[in-house]
Amino acid sequence: MKQKGFGFYFRIYLKILAQDLKSKMSYRADFIISTIGMICTNIAGFISFWILFRRFPSINGWGYYEILFLYGFSLVSLTPVQCFFDNNWSLRQYVYSGDFIKYCFRPINLFFYFQSEVFDVKGLGQLAFGLGTLIFAWVKLGLGCSVLMILKMIVFLLTASLIMISLQNAAAATCFWIQNSFYVMDFVNRFRDYAKYPVTIFNKGFRFIFTFIMPIAFIAYYPSLVILRPDAVPLLSWISPLIGILFFFLSYKFWMFGALKYSGTGS
Amino acid sequence: MKLKKYVTLTRAGIIESLQFRMSFLIMVIGNLLYLTVTYFLWKAIYASVDTDVVNGMTFTDTLIYLVLATALNGFLEMYLVWDIGRSIQSGKIVLDLLKPMPYRRYLFWSYSGSFATQFLFTFLPTFIIVSVVTHGAIPLGINLLWFVLSVVLAIVINYSIDFIIGTVCLYTESIWGINIMKQVVILLLSGATIPLAFFPDGLRTVVSYLPFQAIYNAPLSLLLHADPDMQTVCTTLGLQAFWAFALTLISTAFWNRSLRQITVNGG
Repeated sequence: MKQKGFGFYFRIYLKILAQDLKSKMSYRADFIISTIGMICTNIAGFISFWILFRRFPSINGWGYYEILFLYGFSLVSLTPVQCFFDNNWSLRQYVYSGDFIKYCFRPINLFFYFQSEVFDVKGLGQLAFGLGTLIFAWVKLGLGCSVLMILKMIVFLLTASLIMISLQNAAAATCFWIQNSFYVMDFVNRFRDYAKYPVTIFNKGFRFIFTFIMPIAFIAYYPSLVILRPDAVPLLSWISPLIGILFFFLSYKFWMFGALKYSGTGS
Repeated sequence: MKLKKYVTLTRAGIIESLQFRMSFLIMVIGNLLYLTVTYFLWKAIYASVDTDVVNGMTFTDTLIYLVLATALNGFLEMYLVWDIGRSIQSGKIVLDLLKPMPYRRYLFWSYSGSFATQFLFTFLPTFIIVSVVTHGAIPLGINLLWFVLSVVLAIVINYSIDFIIGTVCLYTESIWGINIMKQVVILLLSGATIPLAFFPDGLRTVVSYLPFQAIYNAPLSLLLHADPDMQTVCTTLGLQAFWAFALTLISTAFWNRSLRQITVNGG
């Protein structure tokens, strides 16, 4: 079979996206409430830092605005996984009910087709709030602004997104082996909450785990160092884009491996 | 034999929750890891101040408070809103309404089984681990009795709030957004994310008049005080009992009113 090009997939994505948005628009109340709910979650995170820093001066040498920077960074980098890969949350239901088989019969990439079916609009609310927080912290820290810094930001935000997407793909794909992958996804989800703290608060063992096994330290900490502590950037920060790509590739392979051994439910 | 029907529902719930052993294991491991992370985080936070006691809480107090709040959350969060919302959307609710027991009571007793298993398999082990790790920092005396009483009231309050929110789904056809707002408000204002003791004074006064603090803060403060004076115990439990009673009435009335305008598509 001839390999289909990027343009082909892009056109298909737009078509599927249009259909998805149309069906979403028929539940307008749900759309509005979900967006408000998303922003509430983010505000709550903001408030808890505010409360915390009224009693305590810093966390492991990281001040209020630096922590807000990490928080904003993690919110922005979570947007792509929220917007484009949200269908992962439904994967276990499709697999369980047997409906997943419909994805296997299309002449396009299985992973692409499955993920493209849902575009989650409420991620955009998170993006707006995250960007707001990031810019607020940026200004308060007096970081200054240059083209190079913006470029670095974009590259490292994308890196962080790749890591998050990989984690979620891998967690969702476990449902090809165990029936209820909700707990695995929930587990990963809870941990990504901790991405907003500097990884240095942990001891050596956990630092290793969060860097190489469950790489949540790459969601905000390592990439942010490039901007926040430019004098002492560890090697891990610089190679994090490569690590992001590697993890994404591995999670994709894992997902496809599970999907291709899927044999349906027979109905 | 009036009690028999309730016992049957409880038993069915226990059997059902024991079915998913794998997810159970993941949940336990997840909780343990989560506890460790909480430990490191607050250790770093406490390291930033010179004193051992902040707002009347030592590091150990805070740790016990937050760890047990998480453990309580494990069995208080029953995804009730999702259950009600889904059965409204699918029309399954019609079958439940036909049962010879009020819907509110039927659901409560169906959940009682998983309350029991969760308590035995997640809360109790966590409790034991914490009291061993902290070298018996949890006072073991009459406060345990107050704690258990308080938890029972907390279950009732939490269930009522969930039920009210679930009823809202009858009107909004949105589950995710409504549920996430509820979770965020409860977790923040009940002290489950940050102990209420650290809240700024004004905010703490406001929060103490709301029902949410009765879910996590009330039982946990009763537990942490070895020898509380009778007056504190009475006010705490009395306030909880008030909320439990009031919210039960409100949720029942709200449900009965809403039921009249229910529209179910098929089923």
